[in-house]
Amino acid sequence: MSTEISTNVSKQTVLQTKKKFKWGSIIPFLFISPWVIGFFAFTFGPLLFSLVISFFNWPIVGETKFVGFQNYIEMFTNDPYFWSSLAVTVKFAVLFVPFNLIIALFLAILLNQKVKAMSAFRTIFYLPSVISGVALAMIWAWVFSGEYGILNYFLSFVGINGPDWLNDPNWALVAMVIASLWGQGTMMLIFLAGLKNIPQNLYEAASIDGAGKVTKFFKITIPMLSPIILFNLIMTIIAAFQQLTLALVLTGGGPLRSTYFYAMYVYENAFKYFKMGYSSANAWFMFIIVLGLTFIVFKSSTMWVYYEGEMKNK
Amino acid sequence: MKKIVAFMTVFLLALSVVLAGCSNNDLASGTSDGNSDSGDKKSNEKVTLRFATWDSGEALKLQQEIAKKFEAENPGVKVQVEPYSDGFDQKLAASFGAKNPPDVMYMWNYTEYYKSLEPLDHFIEQDSEINIDDFYEGLFNYSSVNNQTYGLPLGFTTHVVYYNKDLFDKAGVPYPKDGWTVEDFKEKAEKLTNVDKRQYGFGVEAEPDPYDIQGYVWSNGGSFISPDGKKIEGYMNSPETVGAIQMLGDLVKDKKAVLVGGNKQQSGDDIFKAGKIAMYESGIWPLKGYQEAGINFGTVEIPSFDGKPVKGIINTSAISMAKDSKNKDLAWEFIKFFVSPEAIKMRTSDLPVRKSVVQETKVAEDPLYEPFYTMLERSSDTPAFLLNENWSEVKRNLSLAINATMLGKDAEKYLNKAVKDSKKFLKE
Amino acid sequence: MKFGKSLNYTILIGFSILFLAPFFWMVTTAVKTPDEIYLFPPKWIPSDIQFGNFMKAWTIQPFNTFLMNSVIVTALSTIGQLISSSLVAYGFARFTFKGRDFLFMVLLATMMIPWEVTMIPLYMEFNYLGWINTLKPLIVPSFFGAPFFIFLLRQFIMTIPKELDEAAKIDGANHFQIYSRICMPIMVPPLILVAVFQILGSWNDYLGPLIFLNDQSKYTLTLGLSQFRGMFGVDMESIMAVTFLICLPPLILFFIAQRYIVEEVMDSGLKG
Repeated sequence: MSTEISTNVSKQTVLQTKKKFKWGSIIPFLFISPWVIGFFAFTFGPLLFSLVISFFNWPIVGETKFVGFQNYIEMFTNDPYFWSSLAVTVKFAVLFVPFNLIIALFLAILLNQKVKAMSAFRTIFYLPSVISGVALAMIWAWVFSGEYGILNYFLSFVGINGPDWLNDPNWALVAMVIASLWGQGTMMLIFLAGLKNIPQNLYEAASIDGAGKVTKFFKITIPMLSPIILFNLIMTIIAAFQQLTLALVLTGGGPLRSTYFYAMYVYENAFKYFKMGYSSANAWFMFIIVLGLTFIVFKSSTMWVYYEGEMKNK
Repeated sequence: MKKIVAFMTVFLLALSVVLAGCSNNDLASGTSDGNSDSGDKKSNEKVTLRFATWDSGEALKLQQEIAKKFEAENPGVKVQVEPYSDGFDQKLAASFGAKNPPDVMYMWNYTEYYKSLEPLDHFIEQDSEINIDDFYEGLFNYSSVNNQTYGLPLGFTTHVVYYNKDLFDKAGVPYPKDGWTVEDFKEKAEKLTNVDKRQYGFGVEAEPDPYDIQGYVWSNGGSFISPDGKKIEGYMNSPETVGAIQMLGDLVKDKKAVLVGGNKQQSGDDIFKAGKIAMYESGIWPLKGYQEAGINFGTVEIPSFDGKPVKGIINTSAISMAKDSKNKDLAWEFIKFFVSPEAIKMRTSDLPVRKSVVQETKVAEDPLYEPFYTMLERSSDTPAFLLNENWSEVKRNLSLAINATMLGKDAEKYLNKAVKDSKKFLKE
Repeated sequence: MKFGKSLNYTILIGFSILFLAPFFWMVTTAVKTPDEIYLFPPKWIPSDIQFGNFMKAWTIQPFNTFLMNSVIVTALSTIGQLISSSLVAYGFARFTFKGRDFLFMVLLATMMIPWEVTMIPLYMEFNYLGWINTLKPLIVPSFFGAPFFIFLLRQFIMTIPKELDEAAKIDGANHFQIYSRICMPIMVPPLILVAVFQILGSWNDYLGPLIFLNDQSKYTLTLGLSQFRGMFGVDMESIMAVTFLICLPPLILFFIAQRYIVEEVMDSGLKG
């Protein structure tokens, strides 16, 4: 093996000296090659397949039939669940995305202090994210149950007669947002790492200039954190649009379809009604919406995201 | 550059170790997978029969034991029990879609799946050992499509009302008896309700499966769909159907019943166990759990609507063979073994499908089980899903209307809407 | 100052209770007897603690096998993810080349197609490769980077000042050396993040194992856990017991790893 490597290396050194320019242009692709190979091996085929199948009637069991744009026409003109589930998802996203970012950042700042027992606090704050699916649904059912739920039990101590969260069309989506926020540990940790990445000397310098806490937060923390904010914003948008598991195991889309998320609509069309072609058409429509949103956020990011690495280059 | 090459080499090496490692695992387990190249080509290797089930816990253990017994009687065969539990539909869809299904599987939803299943009629005809007359005849209804049998019944349950004897005693209310009416039911439910203690007479799911509601609808003389499966107008929104569903909705509205969670959390079973509801309607599934939790309870048949005949529904599990199976004869042997009296006797989580087993174990004489068998005699109506191929989509609208009723809305209005929204699936 | 500190603690402890209460309920439910599980108001401390529930739940199915499989999948996929994602992220963050922004948009876009519709074709592909009912589908793809981690690491790399690279270049370092000697040491906190998320994601993955594994001898822990939840009825105390046992290893790992997320590596990097 070692001889093989050394011959390789000598070949490359030769190449490098001969065509130095070409090597330089190939290096970036060497770095990203794992993803490119993986993309063509595991992602591209299934994606293309789902796009193609969206023009077919594919009932999984039974015959496949080409139907042209019929699936797309059907969902826009003749399917009330398409519009209602889209509305639910947009509502959820509008509530969830800003709250999630603000709370994750707030908790990260809280954890980014030098006080005793911080390791324990960090672990406790991350705890909700560690618990997996099934048990989580049970926990939330126990929290939100109208008659026998722990949340209303505690609310009754302060004289509030809580709603039947999961059976009240006005509150079920709010319950979903609360449950999703509780498990925001991922975003919180990313913010925490981002906060630690900000050089302390910036704050020291600002202190010397007499800047207060609020000024420091908006003039140093936010700009320095902006690449991470961008990341969390985009990922939260994607997550909001794909919200499925919790609704699937907790409410089943009810009450009165108030938590019938778009992703659940896609899921049921695929695995409950076995309309894989139709489901693919649904999925690709959602793809276009999310891609559009991401594109807008990305384009706008040149205005508010500050990259240390790039700025210094200019 | 030396580094990058060395690094890449390490990377590729690691990857190949992973790949090789996994392949070794396969060899070590000594069986071929359910892949396209599996099966009889290598004669000295064991033949693997894939068997998919949705059962879990103790019921799953039993099936594993049945499979073991089959292996012992058929040397050279390995039965790979694949428990998909509640991911059953998803996993089955994926494996049917990729044409790599298990050979034998649990099944109930025949109208959706029958195109991928092997008709069993010719196996049944050629094989006298199966003793088909020993099964309760009605059960074959549920596993046949277009007069072809796609599955053999494994177990079933009817629905009864469970009642908590302690709560009845405390409230001084006499226990319900077979032949009771909806009026009795409402009266008892009211007396057993104590809102301050969060105790209610009855528990209803907020969005029950319309399938499970059908018993009430039939008992009130209604139906979801015409007997030929072509019309819902005048059936799904008939006064009888509306009345039955409204009756349940009113119980909640009048605080005689409480909404319990569907989806397995804070379910009626749980609340019944907690002693917060006095009556709950269900199949056989929670019976063992109630006994284990030490509840003092009884069972009784579904109440009648003003003396109209009581009707009930049946939930069945059956066993089927995939059309794409490469070992159909072996699969049949396994199915036959699985529904043999010996194996049926081992099942305890539902009711035996063979008359001989019922006679032998005397299960029908147990007072807790007796109502299940009286309900069986009353369960001759054909459920809607067997009557129309697009029923699952109609059901989506119907389910919404029932949900609305349980949340206090007017049943008639919402059922009318459901009928209107569903017409496109019926080709009327 | 003192007031501020105690206020701090009050907030921290307040949130901790919020995060701990359901967990606490989970643990106590796991050791309750069946008749105490559904009491209302809830019984916080069970009167008769059933430690046997853990043993009972763990042995009803071959959980030791499930544990082995989970460990293999998690360990290998985490190694793969750390190496590949960091390489790709460096490529996207530190070079300008033709089509970079387009490729990056493609990378982001692949996260936006819901798995519901790509699952069956992916199953077909793995079936064609003969990988169904092996652990490969759960491991191999992580050796080719995941968009989430690539994007995350790219964002962090882009906050590293380029002067460091320039200085190293003048010293004669090539790109790979800059990646491995300059960039990665500074990137320890985000790499720990990647490891934490991948470990947890892999450990708790339900859908992948469900779809790609058939035989119980290949099952992972989450699939084993789902076997307490059949089509009809659930076994609450076993689910809680096993969930508790399953979430312990990642929790302990996190407790050890978290201080590296917040260590001030950045400063030392700048000074060095």
